[in-house]
Amino acid sequence: MTFQTIMSILLAGLGMTAKIFVITLAGSLPLGIVIALARMSKFKILSWPAKFYISFLRGTPLMLQLMAIMFGPYYLFHLELGTNWKFVACCIGFILNYAAYFAEIYRSGIQSIPKGQHEAAAVLGYSKSQTFFLIVLPQVIKRILPAMGNEIITLVKDTSLAFVLGIAEMFTQAKAIAAREVSMLPYAITALIYWICCLLIEWLLSLGEKKMAYYHD
Amino acid sequence: MTVMSLENVHKSFGKNEVLKGVSLSIAKGEVVGIIGASGGGKSTLLRCATLLETFERGSLSYGDLMVAQEVDGRTVYAKKDVLAQAKQRFGLVFQNFNLFPHYTVLKNITDAPLRVQKRDKDEVMQTAAQLIEKMGLQGKENMVPNELSGGQQQRVAIARALCSHPDILFFDEPTSALDPLLTREVLRVIRQLAEEHMTMVIVTHEMAFARDVADRVVFMDGGVIVEEGPAAELINNPQHERTRAFLSKTEQG
Repeated sequence: MTFQTIMSILLAGLGMTAKIFVITLAGSLPLGIVIALARMSKFKILSWPAKFYISFLRGTPLMLQLMAIMFGPYYLFHLELGTNWKFVACCIGFILNYAAYFAEIYRSGIQSIPKGQHEAAAVLGYSKSQTFFLIVLPQVIKRILPAMGNEIITLVKDTSLAFVLGIAEMFTQAKAIAAREVSMLPYAITALIYWICCLLIEWLLSLGEKKMAYYHD
Repeated sequence: MTVMSLENVHKSFGKNEVLKGVSLSIAKGEVVGIIGASGGGKSTLLRCATLLETFERGSLSYGDLMVAQEVDGRTVYAKKDVLAQAKQRFGLVFQNFNLFPHYTVLKNITDAPLRVQKRDKDEVMQTAAQLIEKMGLQGKENMVPNELSGGQQQRVAIARALCSHPDILFFDEPTSALDPLLTREVLRVIRQLAEEHMTMVIVTHEMAFARDVADRVVFMDGGVIVEEGPAAELINNPQHERTRAFLSKTEQG
């Protein structure tokens, strides 16, 4: 196998990795807000399930969660979910898991916003949702961006867990090539590619931080 | 004409009764100072009037709008749309300004009129420009609050409250977070508003200011209004023993 072939297989895997990464963020970033709001609700019927959700998804291995979602429907309900299910199950697993972590980061940010901001908005007549989306959330995002960056970088590498479902993302491909070629080179290249991806994300995050550096409180 | 009226308001935090039957009525154009020691219920009274707190007994109205009414010894609040309407009739200036730090000065002032009141953009911008000039904030329109001094921030907060055209403006210790120099510039704009007969209720520790600017001063202690009367009279010649004790203490610093 030439170096070129190895690279083309790995880069195809990287495409799948990127797909999982983007879909996970698109799903878990908004879902995290919903769970954080439920978690902070004064209604126990909302806050208790949210607490349980966060505790369970953070307290069990993501790898097990992926497998449970992949195989659960068949073993529990004898559902045959077709060939697409593998990828869908993978995305569901990642979204649900990351939403739990994001929810706690959102919560830390939302709770750090002074009460006076809510009160000023209330007196000016802003509705609850206007207050949240216009006044609170923008300030929350500035405050939680470093913590979010941590999770997002972790997600880049966590996508490799999709190998347990046999999804052809980059790490799965590297493993296959390494086994066939009896070589560590694919792993080394893969590590480098992950790192480059993370550098790119670090750069994007620093741009975001700079964009919001025009004020502080 | 009565702009705002609180009647027999009782408010407790847990078992601690903070307001024990307070009635206060503000006429159009009147400037009322509320004085008293910390913990006497002054701020809680303002927070009840501005709907930041709910009270258990008593009633509250803004002009013809009945906001909260006592029914069988318990306060019942009006529906959401009435409360929203009432919020358009008052403004509140906080001790800590509570400006929106991510908004520029101009946006702090114009956002609520545009978004909440849905007023015409040209008109709001014009109103804001006048307020900015009046508050001595020219050239600061595009700055964010953390680039301003405390006194400037408080003047932005006053402009923000005024831009919604409230019938009455409440101040909750507007200068307590400021040093004497900055206090003076904030007091100056409040004084100017008083001269224009803006209806205002000011909780303050600045006795000289209350005496000079307010038409009427209310002394609160222990959750009740102990004494009220024309400003100069009450501060120079208090009738009640508790008022005298409080005022002599503040004079000593």
